Amino acid sequence: MELLLLVWRNLTARLTRSLFTWLGIAVATASMVLFLSFGEGLRQALTAEMGNFGPQIRVVAEGTDAFSPPLPELPPEMLDQIKALAPDLGILKVIPAVVMFRGGFDPATSFLFYGLPEGSDPRDFYPPAQVAAGRLDPWPDGAVVGAKKAELSRLDVGRPLRLSRDVTVKVVGVLEPASSMVDNFIFVPLKTLQRVLGTENYGVFLLLLDPNADVDEVARKLEAAVPGIDAQSTTEALKFAERALRIGDLIRFGISLVALIVGGLLVANTVMMSVFERTREFGVMRAIGARRRFIFGLVLSEALFLSLAGGLAGVLAGVAGSAVINLYTQQAVGLALSAVTPRLALFSMAIALVLGLSAGLLPARSASRIPVTEALGRI
Amino acid sequence: MLRAANLSKRYRQGTALVTALEGFSYDFPPGATAVVGPSGSGKTTLLNLLAGFDLPSEGEVELGGARLDRLGEDERAGVRLNHAGFVFQSWNLLPTLTALENVAFPLLLAGVSPQERRARALGLLEQVGLAARADHRPNQLSGGEQQRVAIARALALEPAVLFADEPTGNLDSASGHRVLDLLLEHAVGERRLVLVTHDLEIAARAERVLHLRDGRLIKVEEAAAV
Ligand SMILES: Nc1ncnc2c1ncn2[C@@H]1O[C@H](COP(=O)(O)OP(=O)(O)OP(=O)(O)O)[C@@H](O)[C@H]1O
Ligand SMILES: [Mg+2]
Repeated sequence: MELLLLVWRNLTARLTRSLFTWLGIAVATASMVLFLSFGEGLRQALTAEMGNFGPQIRVVAEGTDAFSPPLPELPPEMLDQIKALAPDLGILKVIPAVVMFRGGFDPATSFLFYGLPEGSDPRDFYPPAQVAAGRLDPWPDGAVVGAKKAELSRLDVGRPLRLSRDVTVKVVGVLEPASSMVDNFIFVPLKTLQRVLGTENYGVFLLLLDPNADVDEVARKLEAAVPGIDAQSTTEALKFAERALRIGDLIRFGISLVALIVGGLLVANTVMMSVFERTREFGVMRAIGARRRFIFGLVLSEALFLSLAGGLAGVLAGVAGSAVINLYTQQAVGLALSAVTPRLALFSMAIALVLGLSAGLLPARSASRIPVTEALGRI
Repeated sequence: MLRAANLSKRYRQGTALVTALEGFSYDFPPGATAVVGPSGSGKTTLLNLLAGFDLPSEGEVELGGARLDRLGEDERAGVRLNHAGFVFQSWNLLPTLTALENVAFPLLLAGVSPQERRARALGLLEQVGLAARADHRPNQLSGGEQQRVAIARALALEPAVLFADEPTGNLDSASGHRVLDLLLEHAVGERRLVLVTHDLEIAARAERVLHLRDGRLIKVEEAAAV
């Protein structure tokens, strides 16, 4: 309690230096929080997305990675094969689809097309989907556009949309905003997209299952029965995505570690300097009767106090920064991609604590070990 | 009680061995004892050993019933806290703390409650005539005032022995005498004051004077007067 007063007095006695150190840690922590907030944001967006994803199983050609649009590599025979297996496995509906991505990194000029078969509409993909204007069904030669995409690329009902040199469709519907990936999709008839890609094949089969069916088991049975496919259940995809996110987290943490180590060295330097300057003070304390543990605790508390105060400021700055980032990503893709979750905040504080401890240990040790006579002799 | 027997301290300096104190034996009686001697005669060395700041190369030190020469660093600190008070020549006070907090510091170490600490520290400051300066930092106090705050702090836990190393060394004679009066005032009854000085006039105010030369006790002079 009084230790805290002593710590506070000493840190404020060298205010500028303490402030700079505090700021250094705050910046280091904030950068870590921001870096890691992307992983958390993606994780949250993904979980929400998967929860709203209609089909329980997604069948793609073997070897397709989970994040790029699947190429049209599934031949029509495969569709027949799966349809034949459907009743036994509890598959209610098989939706063959094609996916095409056009454009670059800028969300305004990039397009993700989903070709849906006749009799299928965006609700199969995203059950809560609703139209804001026009109709839900792109057949026979229209396009139904997600809310964000419509806004960014000015695709109102009636506007033509060119898919290739000789294929143009007309926007027939615009969806309500859903805060989902669907906001960025353009749904077109399957036949149209196959024509654009010059193929009879499919990119993905979306399977709607009987609610009582065991999703993972159906996926396993399918893969066994039909060679050359990957049947991904939503939970499996989540697990896969989680693994990828974790690798990303590790890389981001590695990068922010550099900043953190610099912050730690700052604290160590500040505390070491202040220990050196206060040798006489520690001598007086020891002369009066302070034990070495008291001095050790005093110096360590200073490092901890600096680190925790810096860590707290860093987390708060990270929250603010994350909000700013989301403002941008909301506008660009309709999703909050950055999130400072409680566990991320706690993790960052824990890191700040470890930082303070490791930065303070050495100065604390050396402060508590100066011989009393030597400390008293130094002015 | 405060007693030294056959106390020696040697410092290694490079290859040479410097003898700072040699065969010092003395049983300090209650009251004020001055230690005088020329510079380098071993006065500070003696005080360091008596207070347990340092361990002797040889011999025994007994303070408050404990054999300091047999105790570890932290145990000696404990003995000091409970049985000894200190006033040095200068830089006695903790610069970031107020006068009041400085006086209360030993009470904090002894685990006294905050309210009681405050009350007792204020009382002590009053005794040395500085109650009005309770909230001043050391750098806002004159040298003499700083020494008086240091005395108030040294007295906080009513120690059996008060050690002072040139407490008036940096003061003009008026404030020097005031500080000396305060120190002597407390060397009554069973209490002891060990006053290191090179000023014979100041030493004369103690009940006895120990003369050191080249690390040896050469004379014990009992004062007749006072
Ligand atoms: N840490 C040390 N290392 C080596 N020699 C030392 C050390 N401390 C003291 N000495 C030597 O021991 C001798 C006694 O020193 P001490 O400080 O006790 O003298 P003093 O009587 O207090 O002198 P002064 O009146 O100048 O304060 C001196 O020769 C000094 O150089
Ligand atoms: Mg000396």
